[in-house]
Amino acid sequence: MLHTKVVDIKEKKLSIKEAENFISSSDFGASIFFSGTVRNQNNDKSVVGITYDSHDELVIKSFEEIFNESDKKLSVKNKAVFIEHAKGYLNLGEISIIIAVACKHRDEAYVLSRYIIEEIKKRSPIWKKEHYSDNESNWLKGNPILHEKI
Amino acid sequence: MKITLELFGSSRDFSNKDHLEFEIPNECSIKDFRKVLSNFIDENFEGNAVFKKIIDSSAFCSEKNEIISDNYKIQKKQKIGIIPPIGGG
Repeated sequence: MLHTKVVDIKEKKLSIKEAENFISSSDFGASIFFSGTVRNQNNDKSVVGITYDSHDELVIKSFEEIFNESDKKLSVKNKAVFIEHAKGYLNLGEISIIIAVACKHRDEAYVLSRYIIEEIKKRSPIWKKEHYSDNESNWLKGNPILHEKI
Repeated sequence: MKITLELFGSSRDFSNKDHLEFEIPNECSIKDFRKVLSNFIDENFEGNAVFKKIIDSSAFCSEKNEIISDNYKIQKKQKIGIIPPIGGG
């Protein structure tokens, strides 16, 4: 069971409660909620906010691939996964990503949650532009996307 | 033929719009299209080295949302996307 979305922050904020509602089931004994938030410092610069940019279709495709691959790579068959990523301007402390997973047991829930965020970092086309207290802003360097090419 | 290049991430600094349009030869490869883009930077941004580095380090995606290699030939009037190095979360 999978829910994925790229959320335009002008329309709504990401909600842990929505994630909880999606993954809740008596089939599962372990739930993990991961959220990423905007922090106030990076590379010795005072950050006041981040603009997130996204190639929405490719991002959703990558979320689905990561979910499907986890069946084989992690052998976690029975699971509920909720992934939402924000796009647009976020202030300090606002949530940029929620990954909520529910599995039968805690070991597989921890492994699955970590696997999803690490793969998103490598494979999902999302970009950050940091805004600083001196009114400067900068796109973060990032890493070349890892993906099969045709 | 005319193609539309959708801009994402740091490549958004190439234009005030969310895309650029280019006239390219039929069956232009992505490798050759990088040269077209590099010429665009020479002409419009005095060869800005940061922008050229973005072009060199970017991937490209097709209208069908597939990441395409440097050998991929752009065969019809279409929209492609430039995918600079990523870093979400």
